[in-house]
Amino acid sequence: MPTYEDILAIVTELIKPLAAAGRSIREDTDLVSDLEFDSLKVMNLIEQVEDRFDVSVPLNILPDIRTVRDFTVQLQAILGDN
Amino acid sequence: MEATPTENKLPLRYGDFSTLAEALDYAAQGETGANFYNGKGQLEAVLPYAVLRDEAVDIARQLMGLDLERGSRVALVAETYPDFLRFFYACQYAGMVPVPLPASIHLGGHKAYVAQLRRLLLNCRAQVAVAPGMFMSFLREAAEGLGLVFVGTPEQFSEFPRQEGPLRPSGPDELAYLQYTSGSTRFPRGVMIPQKTVMSNLASIIRHGVRVRSGDRSMSWLPFYHDMGLVGLVLSPMASQVSVDYLKTRDFGMRPRLWLTLISQNHATVSFGPPFGYELCVQRLREDTAGQFDLRSWRLAGVGAETIRPEPLSRFADMLAPSGFNPNAFTACYGMAECSLAVSFSPLDLGIQLDVVDPELLAEEQKAAPLASDFRIRTTKGKSFVKCGFPLPGFEVEVRNTEGQPMPERHVGTLYVRGPSIMSGYFGEEALTAEVLSRDGWLNTGDLAYVADGSVVITGRQKDLIIINGRNIWPQDLEYIAESQPEVRTGDASAFSVTAADGDDKAVLVIECRESRHAQRMELATRIQALIRQDLGIDCFIELVSRNTLPRTTSGKLSRSGAKKDFLQRVEDGKTEQPGAAEDFYLLRRKTG
Repeated sequence: MPTYEDILAIVTELIKPLAAAGRSIREDTDLVSDLEFDSLKVMNLIEQVEDRFDVSVPLNILPDIRTVRDFTVQLQAILGDN
Repeated sequence: MEATPTENKLPLRYGDFSTLAEALDYAAQGETGANFYNGKGQLEAVLPYAVLRDEAVDIARQLMGLDLERGSRVALVAETYPDFLRFFYACQYAGMVPVPLPASIHLGGHKAYVAQLRRLLLNCRAQVAVAPGMFMSFLREAAEGLGLVFVGTPEQFSEFPRQEGPLRPSGPDELAYLQYTSGSTRFPRGVMIPQKTVMSNLASIIRHGVRVRSGDRSMSWLPFYHDMGLVGLVLSPMASQVSVDYLKTRDFGMRPRLWLTLISQNHATVSFGPPFGYELCVQRLREDTAGQFDLRSWRLAGVGAETIRPEPLSRFADMLAPSGFNPNAFTACYGMAECSLAVSFSPLDLGIQLDVVDPELLAEEQKAAPLASDFRIRTTKGKSFVKCGFPLPGFEVEVRNTEGQPMPERHVGTLYVRGPSIMSGYFGEEALTAEVLSRDGWLNTGDLAYVADGSVVITGRQKDLIIINGRNIWPQDLEYIAESQPEVRTGDASAFSVTAADGDDKAVLVIECRESRHAQRMELATRIQALIRQDLGIDCFIELVSRNTLPRTTSGKLSRSGAKKDFLQRVEDGKTEQPGAAEDFYLLRRKTG
């Protein structure tokens, strides 16, 4: 069972190539307003997360995710349920 | 678990039924049905039409037991799952009107989605609302205080008692469903489609458009709340007793290859998508995997729902040629929710048919003069449009000029259509209905078009519609977001789209702003961009301008086309106030000429 820090590191690594160039990625970075994620990038990120962690990410968590931290917390909960 | 078979022992009937319930009664006598696949491409649920019919009747008895008025609206969050079909058809047997609601949510978009659902529930005055568990919290929040008889999941609904006695299916003149157009989320319009209206369109699609034959199998990833997804790939297969395989739109968005995998695996013959869907495959497929599919069975690759550009389609065809994709399978069609679905269909097996016209005559005189004989020499100068085929039987089309006069062939104007599958109106919106639908049955499509050799050719959208990544974005929704900021007054924002060098459309929002401090202006622009991404899931270029910059009509209304013209001029002159970002548009302007 990966720790929060493990997941955060992988999430950050997956986000980096999708984010606008030169943006720094921290826990409180807002995916939408800071990194300019549109719906296609979100789908792309989730695909990679699903493949990497071998889980299915339910769509209904998206509306309440704003930051990298939110995403990591939700992902940790999903991994814990499996 | 085994998917429903392609072959059916039941004799094929071409949608010649008077109601959807009657059509399902017939399909239920065969072995075909609907199949649902998960995000890994595994079969997750199988729903033969026979089982669907029995389960729909069972739910219909529960709906009847609620003692609601005939024609009451039943709102269904239209996730791609078997219960949507069960409840949709249950309404048919219970004399109620199903209303598919969008199941599309964005990152950080909690408030926006709840607000949208609430507006739709209010607009259709729903009595019952059903959503799968994962959408339940949003639906519950949206329905709070609206006094619905039931808000819950299919499982919760199943506890209601059943009413015995005869079923009371909707008759030919009663509504089959209410379809919200993919238009403005802020100002929803519910298209009313009676049974005989949709049945007429289904029969035409089945017999004259798709030309359904024995051995056909459909595949779809289109949302059930869109006209093409619902009428084209849910109702049409059922009304022709054809098996269909479903993939959730979200799973397609994540892994576009699953579309091709499922077609290969099940030997599907008919599948539709907007141009954007084909484009996404090209973007996300790896060259070295493009030969691993078997697409030889795919006889009809329908293209519709947005203005069609030929380039992405030919890239798709080239890339998938090693997998046996036949470019002649491409079939362009034209339609809209207000016409049930289809207005025109290209002839099958010909592929995309282009009409190349003189761009100068087009711009100056709105004439589409063909560059046929010498187009090889002048091809760089010519402007290509895709022919969307001939009107289905019973449909009349008319291109009218700004004075409302009908125009001859090859003149561009507003497209009007009249025919047997046009809506009875927008629900509860008589004035809006009268704006687009005349007493003698002509519908103003809002599209600009011309007719060439009897074929409909769409040249653009008149209603200022912005299409980004295959989604319709209404300018008023962008403007509303800007105007909701304290620094921006109502009527001081104008949104439109600009075609970039790569052929994609970009949304642009020009805002008049009195704030003069640089840091505050930047903060405002960033804030609006973030809100737009969150509400609509798209990128938008923001330009802040000083007061009295935006062009207005004599009545004081903003002119979006005027604002766009001025914006492009400022870009051209290097005078936009956002120097860095405007560079993109400057380059783009140079490239496109």
